[in-house]
Amino acid sequence: MNFLSQYIYYIGAFGLFFIGLYIMLTKKNLIKVIIGLDILDTGVFLFLIAIGYTSGGTAPIFSKSVTETGKMVDPVPQALVLTGIVIGVSVLALALALAIRLYGHYGTLNLRKIKEQRW
Amino acid sequence: MVNPVLLIVVPLALAFAVPLFGLISKKIVKFLPVVALLFNLIVSVMLLPKVMEQPIHVFIGGFSPPFCINLVAGPIGILFSVLIALVGLLVSVYALGYIKEGAIEKYHILYLLLITGATGVVLTGDIFNLFVFFEILCISSYSLVAYLGNKAGIESAVKYLLQGALGSSLILLGIGLLYAKYGTLNMADLAGNIHSIKSFSNFLPLVLLVTGLGVEAAIFPLNAWLPDAHSSAPSSISAILSGIAIEVGLYAVVRVVFTIFGASSFLVFLLFLGVLTLLIGEMSAFSQNNIKRMFAYSSIGQIGLILFALSIATPDGVSAGFFQLISHTLAKALLFLAVGYMIYRTGSMDISSLEGMGKKMPYTSLAFTIGVLSLVGMPPFIGFPSKLMIIRAALLKQETLFTVLVVLVLIATVIEGAYFFRVIQAIYFRGEKSEKKREGAPLSALIPLFIFVGLIVVIGVYPKLVTNFLDSTASELLNRLDYIKGVIG
Repeated sequence: MNFLSQYIYYIGAFGLFFIGLYIMLTKKNLIKVIIGLDILDTGVFLFLIAIGYTSGGTAPIFSKSVTETGKMVDPVPQALVLTGIVIGVSVLALALALAIRLYGHYGTLNLRKIKEQRW
Repeated sequence: MVNPVLLIVVPLALAFAVPLFGLISKKIVKFLPVVALLFNLIVSVMLLPKVMEQPIHVFIGGFSPPFCINLVAGPIGILFSVLIALVGLLVSVYALGYIKEGAIEKYHILYLLLITGATGVVLTGDIFNLFVFFEILCISSYSLVAYLGNKAGIESAVKYLLQGALGSSLILLGIGLLYAKYGTLNMADLAGNIHSIKSFSNFLPLVLLVTGLGVEAAIFPLNAWLPDAHSSAPSSISAILSGIAIEVGLYAVVRVVFTIFGASSFLVFLLFLGVLTLLIGEMSAFSQNNIKRMFAYSSIGQIGLILFALSIATPDGVSAGFFQLISHTLAKALLFLAVGYMIYRTGSMDISSLEGMGKKMPYTSLAFTIGVLSLVGMPPFIGFPSKLMIIRAALLKQETLFTVLVVLVLIATVIEGAYFFRVIQAIYFRGEKSEKKREGAPLSALIPLFIFVGLIVVIGVYPKLVTNFLDSTASELLNRLDYIKGVIG
């Protein structure tokens, strides 16, 4: 039980990562694949946040009540996640825009039927 | 002394100034990339002799490393930056006449962002910063592949985006694992802490980073997107993607493997992967009828060859690898640009439609032929000394393994020669002779083409021009300790 409570965020992060990967590899619908990509990204972000998290920690600002670094969460992973989310959102937006254009050309989002560009 | 950070700032600032200039006049927008890249070229060439003696370190924000984001303008970084600026400048001159339709302003914004990303990747000394610049490079290339908005372009952009985005997530995961273990993102600081890749907690980030960056570098099992993306993008973009983007991806792979991890035991794997990529690329190119697809597969092959040369990991091998990289960039950019106007005239990418081009577009065909001969490795063009150096470096190892691999490399070169000469034959010796209508490419295309031709011939005749610089790039890549000391002090 102790193990679970200690590593719960990591288990969740890699769980999300592999769920996303599974969706990306098996689903035929482009929108579902994009959702899979998003879930996979979320897993990575959760992992990054979990690295810097300390249980019961506060924001890393030195003040009268908080002077020890041990009680603060690590701010660097949070900055990384913020950047990561921005990048993830822009990739997602581009992917959806391309999906709309793809539907306009083929009339379907089934990736098994869209294979003009092959060999 | 000029601050190397300007190499990143100027293209980035001009990228966002494009819409503002667009308000004044739609016609001046297309000159902004030319201005930015001319600036970059001048600055990088000015910095080149200085960094050969002593790398320039820039610490952003006034903190000292490892707490700041730092730029390392070493020999490799500036050499790449010269190459990016040179090819980027010539391609942007070509695009003045070539890009006429579509959202022209957006094309130039994305083009400048692509250049920013590529320059940032080669100059940065912080692994998360590398990821951010890498994403700038990737996202702008996804959208530029879809620029024409036709069926093929959109489909290949989706393919490229899905594979690229998965790769980026793997990179981020790898960076997260490294930060969790070492608590730093500075590449030199990480390198100082990592002593071997035997433990799983070091090996896993290495694999994740190499896989993620390998998607953009198109190393063999990860190259499915490249033939589609490079063949359906506009030709000026194909030239940049083939000449700059995949090379920058390869740079990132090599930087991670050599500098951050110092993974000499991993190199044997990359050696085989390089030869495999080379053989698969050349064999697939052999069976193509679409000229741009043929070039795209040939790019995969060339990347394999460069990876092979770099993985030899002797000073000779690494300089040969960088020389081959320069030679491939010049030749492949030339080929895509030349073929761009041929396709524009005929409206088809089939090799059979190029028949009789030698008469119809004599100058473009001449440039094209020189590019092809250089890529195959004929003297007196740049491809000859670079391939010779690779073979020499591999044979100097005096091991049976390397001799066998060299034989495979030579077989791949023969295959390469076979399919490229088929194209030359189609251009000059087939098709009806009666057709006499000559319709050459415009001047804005011919000038860049012949500058490329000039560089290919001059460096081919006098390779010392480039090889002088290559020794210090090799020592930067192979001496990890110097790199670490240079940054951390």
